[in-house]
Amino acid sequence: MTEHDPIYDADRLAEIVELDLLDAEVDPILQDVASRAAAGLGLPVSLVSVVLDEALHVAASHGIDGLWLGETGGHPVEWSFCATSVRTRDAFVVENAETHPYHKTNPLVVQDGVRCYAGVPMISSRGFVLGNLCVVGLEQRTFAEDDMVFLRSMAAEAVARIEERRES
Amino acid sequence: MLSPPSAPGIPGYNDYRAPTEADARAALNRVFGLERGAEHWSLACREAGLSAGGVNGPEPLARVIHALAAQGGPSKAVARSIEIRMRTYTRLAAKSLALSDGGQG
Repeated sequence: MTEHDPIYDADRLAEIVELDLLDAEVDPILQDVASRAAAGLGLPVSLVSVVLDEALHVAASHGIDGLWLGETGGHPVEWSFCATSVRTRDAFVVENAETHPYHKTNPLVVQDGVRCYAGVPMISSRGFVLGNLCVVGLEQRTFAEDDMVFLRSMAAEAVARIEERRES
Repeated sequence: MLSPPSAPGIPGYNDYRAPTEADARAALNRVFGLERGAEHWSLACREAGLSAGGVNGPEPLARVIHALAAQGGPSKAVARSIEIRMRTYTRLAAKSLALSDGGQG
């Protein structure tokens, strides 16, 4: 990571705060987006994630109640699959985490059983990657182009909802 | 991130350690640069009734992080990051202890 790493961009972090993405109160519409994303792809977990400088913050979710992630509301950024999209500004897919060069030693994989992941960046109207809409599974699987089109449409819904906060 | 030798790592979680004052200051430095990072930290410490360099242990650190969050802007995001890292450590340490005692994690 360098000083130009967008993860640490103060303007991006200011945008996240301005859009009230760190509020403890969960937006029911974002929650609904997460639930529909999980159901649409037949996976147990979906997150509306906000990637901060040192941690991933869960803004809305489906399927993490009762898990430690549900209690902490996030996890260290070095364990985050979603952080990749902040750097690439593109979707990130891991079909088998056990063989992924970086994530095969990720505690979320080794200890908590994550096996597959697909995330699409949520990019604000000012051009900042806020985080991802992502789905997570406990078994390896492939993601077809139709799956990613669906996930992108869900991410667009999430961004539209988030942008409403700027106008209100 | 740096941690004092007294903070035990979490087995199975890449020896994950509790965040310290040094970690929080390093995080601010990465976002704001050395000079402004130090200014934000000193201000938060003053607001919490503590001195920069003397924030030892999770409870004083939590007080300073609360004050840092109140600054708003990127400081609030950095504060939330450290808060999540603290909560993660607390939760996983409890889980690890429960498992080592033969209970449920």
